[in-house]
Amino acid sequence: MEYAPDATLIVDAHGRILLVNAQTERLFGYYREELIGQPIEMLIPARYRTRHVGERKGYYADPHVRPMGVGLELNGLRKNGTEFPVEISLAPVTTVEGTFVSASIRDSTERKAFERRLQQLNAALERAGRAKDQFLATMSHELRTPLNAILGFTGTLLMQLPGPLNDEQRRQLEIVQSSARHLLSLINDILDLAKIESGKIEFAFEPLDPKEVVDEIAASLASLAAEKRLEFATQVADTGGAIVTDRRALAQILLNLANNALKYTETGSVRIDVWATNQQEEKAVAFSISDTGVGIKPEDQERLFQAFEQLDPSNTRRYEGTGLGLYLCRNLAALLGGTLTVSSDYGKGSTFTLTLPRTQ
Amino acid sequence: MARVLVIDDNAVNLDLMLYLLRSFGHQVDGCSDGISGLTSAQSNGYDIVLADILMPGIDGYEFALRFKRNPALQAIPLVAVTALAMPGDREQVTQAGFNGYITKPIEPRTFVLQVEAFLT
Repeated sequence: MEYAPDATLIVDAHGRILLVNAQTERLFGYYREELIGQPIEMLIPARYRTRHVGERKGYYADPHVRPMGVGLELNGLRKNGTEFPVEISLAPVTTVEGTFVSASIRDSTERKAFERRLQQLNAALERAGRAKDQFLATMSHELRTPLNAILGFTGTLLMQLPGPLNDEQRRQLEIVQSSARHLLSLINDILDLAKIESGKIEFAFEPLDPKEVVDEIAASLASLAAEKRLEFATQVADTGGAIVTDRRALAQILLNLANNALKYTETGSVRIDVWATNQQEEKAVAFSISDTGVGIKPEDQERLFQAFEQLDPSNTRRYEGTGLGLYLCRNLAALLGGTLTVSSDYGKGSTFTLTLPRTQ
Repeated sequence: MARVLVIDDNAVNLDLMLYLLRSFGHQVDGCSDGISGLTSAQSNGYDIVLADILMPGIDGYEFALRFKRNPALQAIPLVAVTALAMPGDREQVTQAGFNGYITKPIEPRTFVLQVEAFLT
């Protein structure tokens, strides 16, 4: 007891201190001669003393091991008059001379300070999280506003609303327009990524028919395929009914992949196939987008899914893109519980396959 | 031809919308804040009102609330044209009482058609 890490005192039925250890002297700043025989209340701030006498008597009526003052802020009083927060546990000690109470007292100043620091830190993190969300929303709004004017007035000029354009004027305005659109898609991709990385993206899982989603994608890209004179086909095999997933995320992945396929294919075809499969013993549905485009060298296939990678730097002038699309798609696929893989025959074409679980 | 009121605090974006609508034969007025927008809407009969959301003074949400509470105005189609395009924004705009939601950047080729779709 003498060298116990907590201040330990033995108190009799009248609340007099019988015994203290070395830590008690250190903690309260008294020599033990000053404590022995004195009421235990001398170690308690004056305002708690009367109440303590009553509680002490109550404990003697039913002595058992328990912490003292659970849920209350307890304070000790040092000889020099200063107070400090304490945690106390009580235990009855039965001897031939009767029942005494042993009190172990621990200075909780540090633990309390640590708790406070933790609370402050949590509050700061929450504030930072909110500030980040607010920042994303503000950025999105502030970047769109000037883009509205750029795309809008470029559009009115190209529509020749103010007057006719010559070929060179048209060519230059189209460059402004496609650059502004590129900037807009960069902004959208970056915001999407920021939302994924801050866990802010919200999914609405619902049963949906894969064919319906694929048909929508095909309809929205039909004109692009026609423009490039590419064959564009979809085939949805019997997938065994609806799948449960997030419609917007699925559409975003498929649109991105199909758009890429059309972009990187000069002649031939792009197709979307859907069929039932398994993913780690679980029922799943696979969506594949195949093209007869340039293809991807084996050593480049994984690099493709990293942020800001476009394989051939000489391509960037021919194919606009953010370099974020596939990175975004793979992240989304993972969040839907699925996978996104690629296989390619360099020079002959590529196939991207999205596999999603049938249920969430 | 419809009578259209457009409210936007950004002068260039207001100019763009007015120009597009006017080019397609509509009769347009512009306001740069919600309060003058409400005043104008009450004294001139419009077929449709377009309003931005983030504006100084009363914002588009407050504007929609007052607009739709006003018996003289509530039947007029009210469409938000806003750069608020994050998830959840559409729901918030609709809840505020707007009948439609068009995000910026607007698509100049289809903007007027989109607006006309709200005219009955």
